Amino acid sequence: MFSQFKYVKAQTIDEVLTYLGDRDRCVKILAGGTDLMVLMQRNLETPDCLIDIKGIEEMKRLDFVQGVGLFVGASVTVNQVTESKIILEKYQALGQAAKTLASYQLRNRATLVGNVCNASPGADLAGPLLIFEANVHIASLDGRRVLPLAQFFTGPKKTVLAANELVTGISLPDLSSGDQSLYLKQARVKGHDLGIVGVAMRLTLDQKFLVALSAVAPTPIRLLELEEFLNAHPRTPELATKAGEMVQKLIHPISDVRASAEYRLLIAGVLVKRAVTLLTTREAN
Amino acid sequence: MCENQSQHGPQEHCSTYIDSQQPRVFLSCWVNGEIISAQIDPMITLLNFLRQGLKLLGTKEGCGEGECGACTIIMNGEAVNACLILAVEAQDAEITTVEGLSTGGQLSILQSEFVSQDALQCGFCTPGMLMSARALLDRTLDPTDPEIKEAIAGNLCRCTGYSPIIAAISSTAKKEREERK
Repeated sequence: MFSQFKYVKAQTIDEVLTYLGDRDRCVKILAGGTDLMVLMQRNLETPDCLIDIKGIEEMKRLDFVQGVGLFVGASVTVNQVTESKIILEKYQALGQAAKTLASYQLRNRATLVGNVCNASPGADLAGPLLIFEANVHIASLDGRRVLPLAQFFTGPKKTVLAANELVTGISLPDLSSGDQSLYLKQARVKGHDLGIVGVAMRLTLDQKFLVALSAVAPTPIRLLELEEFLNAHPRTPELATKAGEMVQKLIHPISDVRASAEYRLLIAGVLVKRAVTLLTTREAN
Repeated sequence: MCENQSQHGPQEHCSTYIDSQQPRVFLSCWVNGEIISAQIDPMITLLNFLRQGLKLLGTKEGCGEGECGACTIIMNGEAVNACLILAVEAQDAEITTVEGLSTGGQLSILQSEFVSQDALQCGFCTPGMLMSARALLDRTLDPTDPEIKEAIAGNLCRCTGYSPIIAAISSTAKKEREERK
């Protein structure tokens, strides 16, 4: 049963910001609704007011500018991400992760920005966005700010976002062609399942590794120490094995309904090893 | 069921969940090729509007949380879970439910293939399966098995009849390709 709420279909960002600036009301943003509606059905979210942002032109933006990068507006769906030629070509890990997120029907509604704002520790798209050094575009009546995604998450389901702030989109810097990346996910069943561990890894044209993991910490995380290790050592076949061992010392996952901490550690090691192997051999070919 | 009716007199619809007693809003959309205009409670889901409001009972409610796919419909050409959408979000939308698949009492090829290949047992997941399959076949008439599996991954069948379902979708694609020639 839903608690009482008012539904507003906003036409402009300013209209949304005015609602969000009202301190007397609990206002929630409705984009795909695939997380929010479930929480409302369970009465875990009881907003006074739902602001539907799907009618705002600026939120529908999904564009790429050479030399600048990609901008994904807040109402762009996950299936739009999976079908974007530029994302599949340039930001491979993001396209791959989007394909593993929930089911086809849900991906037709779920948005990339919603996946980030929901701030699940296991958010599939967060890892790839972290390795592409994405920025979060935030607006409020006080003005606009742009924040690196790495500074956005503060805990499970928690972000730096203030009650009066709206994420209008996420941007990713342009990449050199030859930039390689991938996303590996371990889940209980193939298709429509939350990840037990997700590994996003990128090898830039100038040979720099970037690594991010999901579902192994209170938030999706970049593993800077592992990146330094990978960048400091020659590309021998042992490098992948050592990276797999090292990641197990760097993360402290918990046990939950999907997997035990021990299993997560084991799988994180396997996936990191596999990712390093795939990226380095792909490069050699 | 519709407890609200006794309180508030006859209405065009009511929700199993709640009568929010909020001002009704005007909804206009296309459902199975017919234009629908209704005064609706802004808090009901699209699933409840279809079932209680329009009495289109083919679309099922399983989990109510987007996990099972029993409520799958096609909205603006895309398969979606009707349980996670508010009816007001369907303003001006084109909606197809399982009732919209047959024409003049004749089953569509997809439905006939489900029947002839025994692609259902209890039948509860079937409307959702059919709609996910229809959305896939509207995108491509030459789907691979992995594409079929991806399209119905969000539709749970507890009778475990997935193999005949995949076969039925595949043979529908073949028949529709031939028909198009």
